[in-house]
Amino acid sequence: MRRPLVLIAVAVLVIGSLAWFVRHWVRRTHVSPPLVAADSSAVGVRAARLYFASPSGDSLVVESREMIEAASLHDRVARLLAELDRGPRGAGTAALPAGTAALHVFLDDRGLLTLDVSRAFQRGFRGGSNAEYLAVASLVRTLAANLPEVKRVLIVCGGQPLPTLGGHLPLDQPLDVNEWP
Amino acid sequence: MRRHRITERLASAARVTALVAIVASASLADAQRRTVPGGHAPRRILPRGDARRHAVPRGEAQPRTVPRGEGPDAAPVRPIDGVPYVAVNDLARLLDATKFWRPDARKLVLRGGHHSITFTVDNPFVVVDDATLWLPDPVRTQHGELQIPAALVDSLPSDSTLARLFYDARRSRVIVLPASGGVGSPALTSQGAVTRLTFPADRPDQVVVMARSREHFRIRFEGHFTGVLPESLPADGLLRSLRPIPALDGSAFECEIAREAAGFRLVQSVERRRLVLELLREATPDAEPFAPEGPTGPRPIRVVVLDPGHGGSDPGVIAGKAVEKDLTLELAKLLRTEIEHRLHARVVLTRGDDRDLSAEQRAEMANRARADLVLSLHFDGFVASRARGATAYCPPATFAAAGTQEGGEGARGPGQPLLMLPWREVSVRHAVGSRALAEAVLSALELRGQGPTRLRERLPCPLLGVNAAGILLECATLTAPADRERVQQPAGLRDLAATIAEGIQAWQRNE
Repeated sequence: MRRPLVLIAVAVLVIGSLAWFVRHWVRRTHVSPPLVAADSSAVGVRAARLYFASPSGDSLVVESREMIEAASLHDRVARLLAELDRGPRGAGTAALPAGTAALHVFLDDRGLLTLDVSRAFQRGFRGGSNAEYLAVASLVRTLAANLPEVKRVLIVCGGQPLPTLGGHLPLDQPLDVNEWP
Repeated sequence: MRRHRITERLASAARVTALVAIVASASLADAQRRTVPGGHAPRRILPRGDARRHAVPRGEAQPRTVPRGEGPDAAPVRPIDGVPYVAVNDLARLLDATKFWRPDARKLVLRGGHHSITFTVDNPFVVVDDATLWLPDPVRTQHGELQIPAALVDSLPSDSTLARLFYDARRSRVIVLPASGGVGSPALTSQGAVTRLTFPADRPDQVVVMARSREHFRIRFEGHFTGVLPESLPADGLLRSLRPIPALDGSAFECEIAREAAGFRLVQSVERRRLVLELLREATPDAEPFAPEGPTGPRPIRVVVLDPGHGGSDPGVIAGKAVEKDLTLELAKLLRTEIEHRLHARVVLTRGDDRDLSAEQRAEMANRARADLVLSLHFDGFVASRARGATAYCPPATFAAAGTQEGGEGARGPGQPLLMLPWREVSVRHAVGSRALAEAVLSALELRGQGPTRLRERLPCPLLGVNAAGILLECATLTAPADRERVQQPAGLRDLAATIAEGIQAWQRNE
């Protein structure tokens, strides 16, 4: 008499445990997927070349930095400017005025990149012609090095034309990337 | 629902972060797990040619390296057990490729353009698109990073979607070649009345003469320079000096040509893949003339316009108690006295007090005064206090500038086309003279210990629309304590004015 009861109890216990395990496993797979897929082909990393001012302010120094690949042109430019704004990890000095960010980006079929930067680019600028030269050169060369399709760069600021950054170098016309060695 | 989305985003971000960490550390884990195989017997690359020709010869004397700007995008090649290897992160950077790491298969995939390259750790087989290459040595790990035999470089696909690489065994580096290829070591020969400079070049048809003055004759190639320059120049030739100058894409050279040279010819041989620059002692009908550089001997200076930078609501650089607009005005007044005394020229100041002036107003004053020389005076500033010294900006000696001469009229022959130039760039007509002025003033500053000096060929705002030779001179860097202290003292500013006047005198003498 007691034996069937024990068997039934064991069966209920096994089925219950199995149900709990299956439910728990299903929930876990739904809520927290594995952090790393077996094939990470969906996301890649790419080395970006960033140009900063040399410590002596004579020239630019290049720094290579790994970045998550961005899909759109706007995201690529925005990330490059964010990295320039973050400053160098090695020797060098940030050349862009602090807080400079990309607002809008447009690339035409002749390689002219119109880059609308935040007001911080103009408001945050301090220094003379050397600082001005290095800020523009840092921007133009970084864009040219990482976006081969860019041949010329027109900088506008907050949606408005920017005749000059500090009064020394004209920015009212597109800058040929080949002329900033 | 919202919680589920947030969870998904967090998980996605964590995946990305983890992936970056994995790409960086996976090679390290591999290096720790496996031992690096020691054998590296040369093997044949399938299906292309033997890449062993690029093995670094031991004990070979290194050639003279060519100093030139920053140079092409390059990565170092380091020997491992005598075999040249390049780091995979460098290779990915040069190819502008995205890296994907597959830890389960211990494979790294590079994707760039329409191509993919798959490396397997400790394996000599590399899959490039659909082809399998057998490298002479396996892919290795060192210091946590995959190392790829440099021999692979020559076997990579060559099309417009993937950067073209060149393994420069002599300099132990891999460089990115532009689509126009490379430029090799030039050969110089001098026979009678002709001096020939021959460059091997993949695309000789793309060579451009940037400036035609004898002192700064410049040619630009679309390809990268991979050779070395001759150690010496023949004394009886017409070439006085040859040096590389920075160029963002491609390569450029500046020559100094003897005054006896009457013309030049550019022979572009696409079939033989070479460019020959012929310098001729005697003018021939097919020879091109050099840009005239004005008569030798003293330059006439009747009117000098001094433009004290900034003013009014624009103070310029402020460092400590030094204010740029005040210093430029004070310096201009001192310099006026010096120039009047030394050159007996009329000196006009664009502003004699503290007031606002636009760049257009300054240019108009200079043009109305019929200036022979315009000097825009500034003081520099930079965020890093290590930056110091003086910088001069002059109009670029472009092809447009080379077509005319200082002081006015061009040297266009009757058969040459009319050159249209926007008025704002009119000062490039005087580029040669402006550069000579910049060099003379900077040289004087260096001699007086007021350097270091820099010269930049870039048209500055104060020279827009100025029809005269001129420069923008950053006389010192106010953010550098030593420079600031010097120019804040009356004697220091007087000394600076005297030095600049010396430079102008040297330019006027034109010796």
